[in-house]
Amino acid sequence: MLESEYQEQNRFFLNMGPQHPSTHGVLLIVLEMEGEYVLDPQPVLGFIHRMHEKMGESRPCQSFMPNTARMDYVCALPYNHGYVSLIERKAGIEVPKRAEYIRVITSELNRVASHLLWLGAYLLDLGAFTPILYGFDDREHILDILESITGSRLTYCYYRFGGVYQDIDDKFIEATRAFIKRLRKRYVIYEKLVTKNIIFIKRAENIGIVSPDMALRYGMTGPNLRGSGIAYDVRKNEPYSVYPEFDFEIPVGEQGDCLDRYMVRVKEIEQSLRIIEQALDRLPDGPVRSKVPKNIKLTPGDCNFAVEAARGELSYYLVGDGTSTPYRLKVRVPSYSNLSCLPELGRGILLPDLVSILGSFDLVIPEIDR
Amino acid sequence: MAKETKDYKEGFLHQGFDAAETNYDQRGYHLEVVLDVNQVRKFAQTAYELGFYLVFVTGFHVRPDEGHDKKNSGLEVVYQFARYDRQYRIKARASVPNTLEIPSISDIYQGANWHERETRDLYGVVFDGHPNMKPLLLSEEDSDFHPLLKEETNLKSLDEVSWRSGAPEAAKGEAEAETGR
Repeated sequence: MLESEYQEQNRFFLNMGPQHPSTHGVLLIVLEMEGEYVLDPQPVLGFIHRMHEKMGESRPCQSFMPNTARMDYVCALPYNHGYVSLIERKAGIEVPKRAEYIRVITSELNRVASHLLWLGAYLLDLGAFTPILYGFDDREHILDILESITGSRLTYCYYRFGGVYQDIDDKFIEATRAFIKRLRKRYVIYEKLVTKNIIFIKRAENIGIVSPDMALRYGMTGPNLRGSGIAYDVRKNEPYSVYPEFDFEIPVGEQGDCLDRYMVRVKEIEQSLRIIEQALDRLPDGPVRSKVPKNIKLTPGDCNFAVEAARGELSYYLVGDGTSTPYRLKVRVPSYSNLSCLPELGRGILLPDLVSILGSFDLVIPEIDR
Repeated sequence: MAKETKDYKEGFLHQGFDAAETNYDQRGYHLEVVLDVNQVRKFAQTAYELGFYLVFVTGFHVRPDEGHDKKNSGLEVVYQFARYDRQYRIKARASVPNTLEIPSISDIYQGANWHERETRDLYGVVFDGHPNMKPLLLSEEDSDFHPLLKEETNLKSLDEVSWRSGAPEAAKGEAEAETGR
């Protein structure tokens, strides 16, 4: 028997998903396999496609606010932030300083919550059950804090054009400070439990190496890009809101493997806490919402606004036509571009490594499908 | 910063691309490039060599120009490029001819692969040279249904949805009326 015939006989297709636990949502990946090796992984999208862009184009711009939180439900506040800032840029609305500070505090809290959830879920993918319990324990505190001020635990609709829905109170500030203190104490646990765990390191080190050129060709952003050593963060590169006023670093990895992506996110948690601390210290007084017309007219012409969501660069691109309804609203989501490199990255690797790569990418499927 | 901006613009103009600087504070991108269909690949190649990454590719539907240019389908494809190392964003757009075909850039930027498939789903623009022009977000059965195409009554001309120089800002007048709450 020829070798090629032998190989042919051992090839088969494996459907990973749409209900597979490590795809983190309804994502299907059709794998062409040969034994334990993946030859060609092809993601199949669209299981929860809701056509958010059409909804954005068929209602006044205010009514689209709740939709923004339903794309990336794990880290919804940056999605709020990008959308309100887009409309503010388009309509020339001024935002009070205090409101921008509150936006930064809540967005960063949400980023920490997202990274904690990812940490637990990634380790769960790799077969470690305990970290997700610790992650959820800490994340729960953030959700409680955010619930007290935004009214919701997951799909926030807290920001408004020209400010935020309501001011934060002393209770919020106190709880946030207490949480920062608590989380810093917990780093030791995470480090002992996960970062120094030899089984975890073996599953993540040198797996799924994304080179800087590959990242560029696929338009990858966020921690997945920074793991490859490129210090690109919209908060620094294209400063928005009051981010330039804070002192924080952009952690980067070295070679772009799963471990680097893990380390980048873990270090980002501390940087987010630093931003929150500085913002709480310097929180200015004043109103949290400026006067905004009920009927916002979007002048003709296009406009773009990019923010750093937990998973990377989120861009809203809007075309106005003089009415209050956008003529075109495009949402560029980070996970979409990040996942698109999988067919190239996953060629010729072991199936368990593919699970590790998918976990390290921190995918949120409703964001990809929109 | 200002100098670099000029350098890019001059470079693009030199290569025959119609590039114009824009007001970043107003629009959120630095350079607008209007491309002819047969310039798309050349522009993508140039952008790649300059170190830009692809932010997104999408479509845009306006009323076809009925005057002198009958080849226009009314569809536009919008590309956005940006840089990892500095603050610089380019918007490029190209009008799609009546054949609804436009060259694919998915061999230059592999990330364009999905964006182009999505644009075909939503607008029906076919990307010539794309390795796998199958539906991505929508199902196979819906491959003739393009949800983002606008109805005839809702279509506006390209001029009506473009920035105008010196036009009065419409929103200002009504702005003082009331708070949003």
